[in-house]
Amino acid sequence: MDEIVAEYIRRTVLKIPRDEIKTMLQTWGFLSERQLQTLNFHQTKDNVSQDVAQLCEDNSVDIKQAAVLDIIYNHIYPNKRIWSVYQMNKTGEEMDFFDLTDFKKKFKRRLQSALKNVTINFREYEDNAIWIRIAWGTPYKKPNQYKTSYVVYHSQTPYVFISASVLRSTLPLLCQALVVASNYHDIREMELRSHCLNSLKDIVFKRYSQTFQTYCPRPLQERNVAPESVDLRIIQENRNEKERIQRVNREVFGDGPQPKLEFAQYKLETMFKSNPKMDVLDIKEPFRCLVKFSSPHLLESLKSLAPAGLADAPLSPLLTCIPQKARNYFKIRERKGIFPGSFVSP
Amino acid sequence: GVLSHLETLEARAHELALKQEETEQQEEKLARLKARVQELRLQRDELRAKVDLQQKRLLGKEGVMTSGVPDAAQPSDRAVLEWKIKTVQAMLQVFYLTGISGKLTKRGVCFCISTAYEGTYLDSYYVDLIIKPAVQIHRHSVPVFIPLEQLAKKYLQTDIKRFLSVLSDHLNAYVGRRYQADQLQEHFSDHLEGTLQRNSLCNVLAFNYNVSGKKETFLFSAKLLYGDLCRSLPTEAIISCTPDAPASLSEKTAAHSDVFRRVALHKAFNSFSSAEES
Repeated sequence: MDEIVAEYIRRTVLKIPRDEIKTMLQTWGFLSERQLQTLNFHQTKDNVSQDVAQLCEDNSVDIKQAAVLDIIYNHIYPNKRIWSVYQMNKTGEEMDFFDLTDFKKKFKRRLQSALKNVTINFREYEDNAIWIRIAWGTPYKKPNQYKTSYVVYHSQTPYVFISASVLRSTLPLLCQALVVASNYHDIREMELRSHCLNSLKDIVFKRYSQTFQTYCPRPLQERNVAPESVDLRIIQENRNEKERIQRVNREVFGDGPQPKLEFAQYKLETMFKSNPKMDVLDIKEPFRCLVKFSSPHLLESLKSLAPAGLADAPLSPLLTCIPQKARNYFKIRERKGIFPGSFVSP
Repeated sequence: GVLSHLETLEARAHELALKQEETEQQEEKLARLKARVQELRLQRDELRAKVDLQQKRLLGKEGVMTSGVPDAAQPSDRAVLEWKIKTVQAMLQVFYLTGISGKLTKRGVCFCISTAYEGTYLDSYYVDLIIKPAVQIHRHSVPVFIPLEQLAKKYLQTDIKRFLSVLSDHLNAYVGRRYQADQLQEHFSDHLEGTLQRNSLCNVLAFNYNVSGKKETFLFSAKLLYGDLCRSLPTEAIISCTPDAPASLSEKTAAHSDVFRRVALHKAFNSFSSAEES
């Protein structure tokens, strides 16, 4: 058993960039400062990881402690996983005090009553985020530590961020446990997915910069204004148009940095409108088509389209409504508009 | 020979320095007086413009505008306009400072709720409403743990004033609680063991503290519950002592609980310290 745990630790350490290994082990706190001094962090990562694993094995580490190291790694590097956002719903107005111990107890009890072989770890962070790590097993096999799901929940908000593992079948169980533990009634998956967890939080918690019409505007931050060329022979031909584009862009996107999304997907089920003489499609059926925009930073690239002259300002509301509607997966049907996802109770 | 020559040069340099200082001071004085003259001239122009406007009004519609050099009319119009703009801006600033201000938009109104706690202005939150087909919230920047949808369902259709006032109470109370918790962590960290535990709404706070502020054992542990979300003082303050604490201290828990319920958090600690000293 020790060897399996040690091997798990070794593989976790291998994922960490070499310069970060020492700090992360210190945060973990399982190995004392004195023991950390005995390790040589300047060797190859392979050797470092083996030394760490050996040291942990000598100190009889157990799986729960090893899981804490995994949580710490995933908290610092959350962008290696894809996160989906789920929204919980409750009827009634009870504003109950959120009790952390109660939440943890209920969650564990619910999950373990359905499936005995799970490893569950909790870790709380300063920004009121509760991180939950679950390693799944089956009724007959021990939990597989390499197939983990992560849940991030901020108390008193209806949103949960889940990074499911490959085992999608465990998702309903997880959702049910969350609903019960946090005193909500049901939960549904929002059409919002990304690698960048903080950006997802920014979108649903409305922490990104929005512009509102007001008489007392907040003072604008220093913008890098390119110095106007003093040479009077140079005239900006389209100055008015450029200023209009800047103004419209700022109204739509705001002044601050945009949340980071990697893609937006539009599933079109609309009729193909063609020249009747061309007669491409005889059948009067919706032309099914999928349009996917991908980018390292989708919203920033959309923001720079109009100023770069690649698109007209204002952009199509289908693109600009992404942060406000908190979704990046859309289904577009004929004339009826955009359909939201439906509520599913476990 | 050489030394006396050096002496005379030194003396001359000293004299020149003194003279230079004098001229500099004179120039400064001159600049100040010039600026003052400008100020007074500007004031005079403004007052003249006001007088002109008064006179024009008194003349009424009949009659030709008495001479008036056309030039005199120009600066007076402009000065009056500037004065009007300043007054309007001041008025809008006053509305903003009262806590709820708004601006009509194409489709409705955008309200700005600016929050404050005991004289410190804190964050502003916006609610953008559209009026047709029914009054609804188009966009907002209210944090997600404030029960905005519930308040909207209750009050928005029937009584917008009440909706805004209740929302403003919630937001002000939230920022007040958050401010107190931040102040406590910042200024009284030596009274606290570690960091204080709080939740998103800042309506449950738990911490261990001592009264003296030195790094001895932390004898009291407190759990503050803020049952009323529109208030920034706790409804319940559960104070307990470690079991091996001396009896004199365990008597104080009731007193402490009372203080926490009546006084703002950071001020409560001030009163503890002064009580210790006395």
